[in-house]
Amino acid sequence: MAEIELQNLTKRFAGISAVKQASFTIHDGEFFILVGPSGCGKSTLLNMIVGLEEISEGEIRVDGVRVNDLDPKDRNMAMVFQSYALYPHMSVRENVSFPLKLAKLPKEEIDKRVARAAEILELEDLLDRRPRALSGGQRQRVAMGRAIVREPKVFLLDEPLSNLDAKLRVQMRTEIARLQRRLGTTTLFVTHDQTEAMTLGDRIAVLRKGEVLQIGTPRELYEYPRNLFVAGFIGSPAMNFLPVRWSEGNLEIPIGSLAPSADIGRRVEAAEGSLVAGFRPEHLHVVGEKDEAREGLCFEVQVEVVEWLGADLFVYFNVALDGFEELALPEDLDIESGDGAHPILVARLDPTAGLRVGDKVRLHLAAEHLQLFGAASGENLTLSD
Amino acid sequence: MTAVGGGSGLKERLFWGLGSALVVIYALIPVAWTVSLSLKRGADLGDNHFLPRVVSLEHYEAVFRDPQFSAALWNSIGIAGISTLAAVLLGMFTAYAIVRLEFPGRRLILAAALSIAMFPSISIIGPLFNMWRTLGLYDSWLGLILPYMTFTLPLAIWILSAFFREIPWDLDKAARVDGATPLQAFVRVIVPLAAPGVFTTTILVFMFAWNDFLFAISLTSTNDARTVPAAIAFFTGSSRFQQPTGSIAAASVVVTLPIILVVLLFQRRIVAGLTSGAVKG
Repeated sequence: MAEIELQNLTKRFAGISAVKQASFTIHDGEFFILVGPSGCGKSTLLNMIVGLEEISEGEIRVDGVRVNDLDPKDRNMAMVFQSYALYPHMSVRENVSFPLKLAKLPKEEIDKRVARAAEILELEDLLDRRPRALSGGQRQRVAMGRAIVREPKVFLLDEPLSNLDAKLRVQMRTEIARLQRRLGTTTLFVTHDQTEAMTLGDRIAVLRKGEVLQIGTPRELYEYPRNLFVAGFIGSPAMNFLPVRWSEGNLEIPIGSLAPSADIGRRVEAAEGSLVAGFRPEHLHVVGEKDEAREGLCFEVQVEVVEWLGADLFVYFNVALDGFEELALPEDLDIESGDGAHPILVARLDPTAGLRVGDKVRLHLAAEHLQLFGAASGENLTLSD
Repeated sequence: MTAVGGGSGLKERLFWGLGSALVVIYALIPVAWTVSLSLKRGADLGDNHFLPRVVSLEHYEAVFRDPQFSAALWNSIGIAGISTLAAVLLGMFTAYAIVRLEFPGRRLILAAALSIAMFPSISIIGPLFNMWRTLGLYDSWLGLILPYMTFTLPLAIWILSAFFREIPWDLDKAARVDGATPLQAFVRVIVPLAAPGVFTTTILVFMFAWNDFLFAISLTSTNDARTVPAAIAFFTGSSRFQQPTGSIAAASVVVTLPIILVVLLFQRRIVAGLTSGAVKG
């Protein structure tokens, strides 16, 4: 059990900042996620916490005690590596008991703890095998076993699921979540996969280029992204983005125009540079001709691609920009947005709508679901502070 | 299996069988000849027969009766053993540092090590002889151990760093997080995984020190430090008119045995793929 406090934590490699001034607290017993695209500094941050990477600036405190200069062996944290890092010359039993032997625990205690970990992770039949005789999922469980036998203060998991195939990944995901709840140990989980982050975490920190952009519960991040990057990164399929023109109190978007509230209008007025509008695929609805009078935006599109997933129907369509400037989204967001003049948007619709490629359909978007971002600053202008 | 398949399988087996036999015969005939010589009676040495007509151990007896030989054998074992141990240990630490640590001059060290290995030993024998005489290292164990280590360390460093490079760094990190000191992580995780490399290096370094003639003959003068290859050159026949061929053959057989033993012992440990299963794969 432990509370981890980071204060202005900074890491520089040859003058380049890999982690910039990270400050946040991971509460006791919390399942905390660090998520971000590759190269955002999340693994570096993890390595600093466990002590494998030196801290350039700032402070890490565990339960109020500064651990900056503590050797990794003395931090009582357990780590699961992306590669599992099992010792290939040792059997599963030896792997799992290795940290206990180093801690010089009495033999009966070691046996007891290994047996319990093996039972929790269903490793009993594998104890005398070597890692090379195990499947990916089994290796993953051995790595988890090696972490839990120590009953450490903190679990650190560095992309533990990324080497598994899709089905196993989902299975291990629930298993890890259940294990964490059962043990109640403070857990820090690093991933680049927003789905993992959303499903596992009590709270999530989104990192980008070494900066912590936003920290919050999955719901907060999804519904109230403070930032264009967070908005685009969290959620699958990703948020739709379109350019916006501001003219005399009206927001003009390629799919229509509307007048924002006075509050938002003021912030838009104050914002510099171009604007980006964003809305989630599930906020688009099919409407008939008669609903013309409804508030918000109504527009007609031609269906380009249909993805039917049983419970969901994803409909992809183009919007002509004519006259609007092209959208410049952050490159590392990795959103497939078509060519600059015809951004591809997606709507999550009722599967019973029975839409086909080439169909014309009218879609409606309520005004309150439209979010506005400053393109340069990335700031969400729709949110009040 | 079809008839055609069986035929080509047989041909293939025949090809490899004959090829291997040829290589083995080519390599072993001189050895067999030496063994045969060592087992002949003194009078039969020139009898032009490949196999001894009467097997006799008289040369072996003579060799072991000679105090010079037993002293040389002891020197050889001691000097080669210590040189090997020191070179492998030092090589292990150096190679690990070169592979894992970021420090200026890493490449320089590797390049320098290689150039030392390429240095012709004959060119330093003269100066070394004079230096050792001044320093009092002439005709001592240390006087031979030092050059042996110097010439084998580069080899050890190169082989071992190649092996260490293959070991995923995550394993060090995992051991450190699991509560190991850097030394414990090295000894309990890295070295066992680099075992094939350590054994390969041990064999090569030991053979170099064990077989060396140049340094042994130049830097020793008495039984205090003279090793077997050098001592054999001092064998004499039972009379001044007799060649010591039989004794030399017997001594050669005796000194070959440890090498065979070391190779047989360690080659079992040189198994490839010891690291498989450590990380995804």
